Amino acid sequence: MLSTIKQQFPATNFALLALILLMPALGALINGLFGKRMGKDAVRLTALASIGGSFLASLVTFIVVASEPGSRVTWTAWRWFSVTGRMRQDVGIDLAFSADGLSATMLLIVTGVGFLIHLYSTGYMAKDKGFHRFFAYLNLFIFAMLTLVLGDNMAVMFIGWEGVGLASYLLIGFWYEDEKKAAAGKKAFIVNRIGDFGLIMAMVLLVWYSGSLRFEDMQQRSSGLLTQVTLWPVTDLHQTIMPHWLASALTPASPWRVSAATLIGIFLFLGCAGKSAQIPLYVWLPDAMAGPTPVSALIHAATMVTAGVYLVARTSFVFVLSPAALTIVQTTGALTALFAASIAFAQTDLKKVLAYSTVSQLGFMFIGVGSGAFGAGMFHVITHAFFKGCLFLCAGSVIHAMHHRIHDDVASQDMRNMGGLRRYLPLTHATFLLSCIAIAGIPPLAGFWSKDEILFRAFASHIAPATAAVWVPPVWWGKMIFFVGLTAAVCTAFYMFRAYFLTFWGEFRGWRVVANFRPKKHGGHGHGAGALAGPPPHESPGVMTVPLVILAALAVVGGFLYAEPIHVAPLAHVLEPVFQKASQSVIVPEAAHGLVWPLMGAGVLAGVVGVAAAYYVYQVRGGAPARAFATSTGWFYRLVRDKWRIDELYQHTIVAATNAVAETAAAFDRWVIDGIIARLTAGTVALGGALLRAAHTGRVQVYAASMVAGVVGVGWFLVRPHADALVDTSGLRASGRVSLTAASGHGYSYRWRTADDDESVAYGHDKSYAVDLELCEKRTVYLGVKNAFNQAAERKYDLCRDANVPRAPGSQEAAACCSLDDAGRETAREWVRSKLKELDETQKRLEETKRAPEGLLKSLEQRGIKVEQLPGAPPAPQPPSQGPGGRP
Amino acid sequence: MSSFLVALAPLLVVGLGGLLLMLGEAFAHRERGGSGPSADLAIGSFVTLAAGAVVAFSLWLVGPENLGGAAGVAPFLIIDRFTLFFDIVLCVGGALAALLAGGYLPEHKLDRGEFYPLLIFSTLGAMVLASAGDLLSLFIGLETMSLGVYALVGFRRGSARSAEGAVKYFLLGSFAAALLLYGGAMLYGATGHTDLAGIGAALRGGTLTGADYGLAIVAMVLVLAGLAFKVSAVPFHMWTPDAYEGAPTPATSFMAVAVKSAAFATLLRVLVSAFGDPASMSWGTGWPPVVALLAVMTMTVANLVAGRQESVKRMLAYSSIAHAGYLLVAVVALMTQPGIAQGSILFYLLAYTVSTAGAFGALILCGSRGKEAVSYEDLAGIGHRHPVAAAAFALFLLSLTGVPPTAGFFAKLYVVRAAIGGGFLPLAILLLLNSVVAAYYYLRVLVYMYMREPAPGAPVAAPMRSGYVTAALLICAAGVMLLGLWPTRSLELAIDAALAAR
Repeated sequence: MLSTIKQQFPATNFALLALILLMPALGALINGLFGKRMGKDAVRLTALASIGGSFLASLVTFIVVASEPGSRVTWTAWRWFSVTGRMRQDVGIDLAFSADGLSATMLLIVTGVGFLIHLYSTGYMAKDKGFHRFFAYLNLFIFAMLTLVLGDNMAVMFIGWEGVGLASYLLIGFWYEDEKKAAAGKKAFIVNRIGDFGLIMAMVLLVWYSGSLRFEDMQQRSSGLLTQVTLWPVTDLHQTIMPHWLASALTPASPWRVSAATLIGIFLFLGCAGKSAQIPLYVWLPDAMAGPTPVSALIHAATMVTAGVYLVARTSFVFVLSPAALTIVQTTGALTALFAASIAFAQTDLKKVLAYSTVSQLGFMFIGVGSGAFGAGMFHVITHAFFKGCLFLCAGSVIHAMHHRIHDDVASQDMRNMGGLRRYLPLTHATFLLSCIAIAGIPPLAGFWSKDEILFRAFASHIAPATAAVWVPPVWWGKMIFFVGLTAAVCTAFYMFRAYFLTFWGEFRGWRVVANFRPKKHGGHGHGAGALAGPPPHESPGVMTVPLVILAALAVVGGFLYAEPIHVAPLAHVLEPVFQKASQSVIVPEAAHGLVWPLMGAGVLAGVVGVAAAYYVYQVRGGAPARAFATSTGWFYRLVRDKWRIDELYQHTIVAATNAVAETAAAFDRWVIDGIIARLTAGTVALGGALLRAAHTGRVQVYAASMVAGVVGVGWFLVRPHADALVDTSGLRASGRVSLTAASGHGYSYRWRTADDDESVAYGHDKSYAVDLELCEKRTVYLGVKNAFNQAAERKYDLCRDANVPRAPGSQEAAACCSLDDAGRETAREWVRSKLKELDETQKRLEETKRAPEGLLKSLEQRGIKVEQLPGAPPAPQPPSQGPGGRP
Repeated sequence: MSSFLVALAPLLVVGLGGLLLMLGEAFAHRERGGSGPSADLAIGSFVTLAAGAVVAFSLWLVGPENLGGAAGVAPFLIIDRFTLFFDIVLCVGGALAALLAGGYLPEHKLDRGEFYPLLIFSTLGAMVLASAGDLLSLFIGLETMSLGVYALVGFRRGSARSAEGAVKYFLLGSFAAALLLYGGAMLYGATGHTDLAGIGAALRGGTLTGADYGLAIVAMVLVLAGLAFKVSAVPFHMWTPDAYEGAPTPATSFMAVAVKSAAFATLLRVLVSAFGDPASMSWGTGWPPVVALLAVMTMTVANLVAGRQESVKRMLAYSSIAHAGYLLVAVVALMTQPGIAQGSILFYLLAYTVSTAGAFGALILCGSRGKEAVSYEDLAGIGHRHPVAAAAFALFLLSLTGVPPTAGFFAKLYVVRAAIGGGFLPLAILLLLNSVVAAYYYLRVLVYMYMREPAPGAPVAAPMRSGYVTAALLICAAGVMLLGLWPTRSLELAIDAALAAR
């Protein structure tokens, strides 16, 4: 069977990948174009069939890839376009897709979890009038996500990357009638643009330094990424038009350089932080919960937001070259994990709790990949897809039930209106509980294994630098990360069980809606503080509970796919080969293996403490301690509840600044273009514009005046003489020669003079000029031009040949001699001359010593002793043409 | 003799087709209450212009160097790959405008037959302009094109706005033409040549006297200004929004697409053939710094102002100015990378033609008589009322934004590549920053179409349905996607078409 498939689909032309991609695309197309006319049943069938088919094909692909560890299958559609690389070579970029262990695993998650959530949505969205639109978008999302995962090069991946973003905005703003929800879509869009900027920059740099965008080739040529890139100064500032003092002030003593890998790593991570909602770009994800709940489950928990983690894992070969970039990833992950968890403490909206939990868990994944544990990080992506998908779907089920009572989107998500729901929604309750245990990290459920592995690797492993010059973080850094992660794990257990107890235990509070819940428009008509008439909450239909059960089951047993400590890790054989090259640089000391079990104990303890605390606070004491905390530290509590007011901070800084720029531009338009130019020209026009005035159409005079201004401006520029020269300093360092070539112009004559010549030098036709400089010599060259209108202009060029000299005679501190004053430079020149002299003498002595063994050999030979080669001596005498040890 | 005709075949086909259509229309007997002239003429014009494109393409396949007669019309008309490429672009632009008019004119009760001959003869003028190798034929082509377009802008006779736009355009256009003509006269005075190649040779030869050089510089100023007006570079752009907004939308599309392409064609020819010598092309004192400054101003001003527009049509007008700015960046890159820069300009114009014509077509489809889609508000919720028009609009706007894998993305990519390769990194960065600004107002349309519902009680645009417009949109969409998915081949063609630098 397997061999038949392999025969049918050779690894280099694995057309099954096209099928995987095509089915959701087709589904989206059919539902989008004809969905309205087809009716809900046909829409449902199309959506489910396309994703289901894609899942089956993915399964086959996974089996093919997994059957042979380290293998990958590719399918190339066509040569898309090509760009020019660093060596002026043509870098071809194909529309190609490939699946290795990593992609194949992601395929299964995307299509598998995707299918379950599609199934769930058919129940959840059954009454929505945009049913077909919803499934068209959802299928489109799956298509884009598969493109992202399957992209053989970064360009194709980027299409998917943008595609999932597009689908995400469409789905966040799905209920676009609601202004707030449309705004959430917009926010997600803008924040992600910042991330995309990073990704594009990373792509450009990768093409430049590795000469390819294919992940495979980039990995092989990753050594090129160790090139040092000069960030500043980008050019010799003294040769630009800026004044000398400014150029000196802006030129640092030694140029700022980083390795290309670090630069690329940081840019890549900026993209990842945008998509995967990390500090400081996490703000969009909680707002994205405005979309329908299945969307939150699929896109904003299980798949799309993990794309950043996937990308870091996919480009692991870049990151291992730069421990600095990895440390940024790791630290950002740890901070996000803790920070988001702290916000989740004070949220009352069930979906918001899950949203911040997602941000926090993504932080854990980044701790994993940032610690060089790429497999473990990806494993957390998988387990998280199970339990967080399940949690969101449970939340959807709860909201579904609540919404039947309280016909209000916001109030039906508020945990203060829930409580005691375990009696009404037994299945939802059970699955929610299991997923909570999984996320809290209680063994042996899925979350435990993945989180434990991440924390262990953060504690124990470090990156071996590729060269000695590469910066590495101190050893204690990883330990710090571990403890931050552990704290976040306690928080996770606490807030998840807080949500659990508030939702499912105690008395059902939804008979009455929380007073003053919505101070705005809804206050008056029955949804206020009063009792509500309506049916009691009830369990969701089968199509919604079946996915819950499957996901909960996976959340229970999923951990054994990759349970490293007990050596049950079938998935490791699929994933690890992908990271083989990167993993060579990641070192887990032998001694650390003894720490596996103690650290695991700490992890379990963290989970237990969190759960126990939540049990005590919300179940035993009925939430009294939390209320006491809220009243005793009012401002602090409010700060946490308002999400540390980060949104407000952004609003008042970045958004306000952008608005200010836009306003300024508008004001400029209003006052300068319309106002000043209009008024200024009015006088001119009144004089000569009889004809124009006869036309009398609006302000055509202004238009004409603007053209006149343009002609005058262009004319002024071209008629004025411009002394401008191209300064070629390529020979400066080696020989001291600087060649200047004047920019030519019609009817120009040129005059070159130095500071010593006076003004009387005649103009000629020599456009080029060369100066030879000694070390530390500074000379000023003047280029004068005279144009066809007999106007002259002159420009000064300060040239200096730089060298590192002591700042003062005898001083240890080095300085670039061109930055010294005249007297200092004279001393420096003296110093350089003496050094050169010394060098010359040393050279001479060296030659003499070189000749000595030759003489010795000769004398030995004369005595009849033959010596093949003296140890450590230069090779046998060269033919005479070379000259005996002559200086080059 | 016959080979002479073959070389001029694209021009002849379009010209004869236009004449025949005009004759046919003059003798046509129409029943009262029957279908208007658009029904026949739109198809007729489309076929005529498409035939022009096909003939030009077949000449391309034959190879203009194999056409014996091509030398006979030189230097007045130069038949090379550059000309043929532009013939295709211009004919496609004109043909698309004819299709759009076929839907637009009857809908808006403007169904008068003269629209189509005006369109065809304008296209003919544009083709002459693109192939002109002499200042005289250049001017004739320019005026043939412009006169038709002036009339097209004022075609909505009942509308004050249309008349205003036409008069403004006409006045300023005459001003620009006068500048150009005056510059041409001075060039003749300075060099003794009216043909571009001769002017170039004289300037390069270094035999002119000082006074002649002075004259040549002033001439260069005037010629540059005249051409900058036609490509609507800031500060010569002021007429554009008014004329674009006042003109009937198919005419706007024609102006944005064909007139602009022809203007760029002649700009390239003048700059490469006449002003291609080292002194004119000098970074210190030649046209490149001037064009660079124009490019920066054009991009920046147009994008900033476009972002503040409330009328979608006016926004598209400013956006077309901004695109001219991007193209000017590539024109600057001519200085160091003539082949690649020209290739990128030609590719950009092709991509821009299909994207812009498509965008205007989608805008036409979004509104009907009395219920036109003018402002962003009018477009609210159109994604649900007319999904096809909205989806098409979205596609073309994404292409104009430069989102992969559309044509616009590669167009920008190649321009940026030419600019960076030519050593103009700051210009490339400014271009990219400007595209980010542009994304704001393009995507705003998408937000309104898909994420807003019209305010209750507000007048809504009622989408219209028209086979002609839909056909045009399909052609444009196919073009956008083809250029986006197979850009390499088209770029190679465009580079083949580049003028030899010297």
